Amino acid sequence: MPPATDKYAELLAAVAKGQESAFAELYQATSPKLFAVAVRILKSREVAEEVLQEAYVKVWEKAGDFNPAIAAPMTWMSAIVRNRALDEVRRRVPKASADESELDNLESDDEHPLVGLERQEDVARLMRCLEGLEPEKRQIVRLAYLDGMSREALAKRFDRPEGTIKTWLHRSLAQLKGCLEQ
Amino acid sequence: MTELDDIDGLAAEYVLGTLDAAERRTVAERRASDKALEGAIVAWERRLAPMIENVRPMTPPPALYNKIRAEIGLAQHIVSLKARERALERRAARWRNAFVGVSAVAAALVGVLGYRDYQAEMNPGTKYVAVLTASKDMPPFLLMVDMKTSNCIITAVGAAPVANKIYEVWMLHDSLAKPKSMGVIGEGEMNVMPVEPGPDRDMLMNASFAVSLEPMGGSPTGLPTGPVMYTGRLVKATP
Repeated sequence: MPPATDKYAELLAAVAKGQESAFAELYQATSPKLFAVAVRILKSREVAEEVLQEAYVKVWEKAGDFNPAIAAPMTWMSAIVRNRALDEVRRRVPKASADESELDNLESDDEHPLVGLERQEDVARLMRCLEGLEPEKRQIVRLAYLDGMSREALAKRFDRPEGTIKTWLHRSLAQLKGCLEQ
Repeated sequence: MTELDDIDGLAAEYVLGTLDAAERRTVAERRASDKALEGAIVAWERRLAPMIENVRPMTPPPALYNKIRAEIGLAQHIVSLKARERALERRAARWRNAFVGVSAVAAALVGVLGYRDYQAEMNPGTKYVAVLTASKDMPPFLLMVDMKTSNCIITAVGAAPVANKIYEVWMLHDSLAKPKSMGVIGEGEMNVMPVEPGPDRDMLMNASFAVSLEPMGGSPTGLPTGPVMYTGRLVKATP
């Protein structure tokens, strides 16, 4: 476990007690990653800012519910951000951003160095298991999780009926689960 | 090959993000009372979260933290103030419509009148206000010092947002070699900073203030780089 995970768990415990300085430190350390996660799903910095604001307010309010035995801090916080972002993106018609170049940049992330926010062995295991999927299925899982693509959007992109995409997703997820449990 | 059961499949797709809006709502409601579903969701979050490791971090605009802070930490102190601020903004909007294009004096007066209105409903205690005004239109910023709570409050009341730019507030004083930044502030935002009695507060009380337009992250040099849009000084707003 990298020290960052322990550190964030400590900060969340302090945030649960209402310590504003801990919240500031947690925000400082985690917001660039979580902002990027939201921008990538929402394709809009502006909407991502709104979502991030709501998410951190929720982190502040719900920090007492965080249980390090159940989830890593970034897993817990990223779930809050992603859920808000996904609710938002499913609700609205995505608009093209004014800053496409920056968003394009976000997608070419495969060689991006690991920054140690998650447990490295978990990252390595998931990457290995994703490698075990057929390339097209792996791409679908990544486009869904990281880019917030709906079944409909995936069906269009891969020129398959939605039902097929759903079947692929379920098979891929089942395969991932099996692989991760080994 | 392993198959996912119904609950696990639903949880997996919920976490992956491929459910539609109605399905997401159903899952979000159901998970509160369905322990099996909740457990499956948490397990999928744990499995898939490492994927975000490869997302290139992007620093959010600095003003965002002020917004969050205003909504939470400071809500404890100024929860009523926020409501008052909204009331003031509504009042300011009415005045703005009536005063577009008039002189700075009139505009400044609107700010002070608005502030008096607003301040009358707050706790007693001497307060100072600086109306930072431009040549026309509404005062975009109010800077207030509340001697009772020892807070300096800067609110953006009527500042128009400028694409890819942010306003930064500066303090100028004879004893300072250069303008001192008091932080960046976006439209409709409020910065609250403690000013304990002492030399810092004495300086603040006698300082001039300026607002410049800076790149998103605030001035890169620590000095105003963009145009200075507004200036002003503190005046006593209560007896």
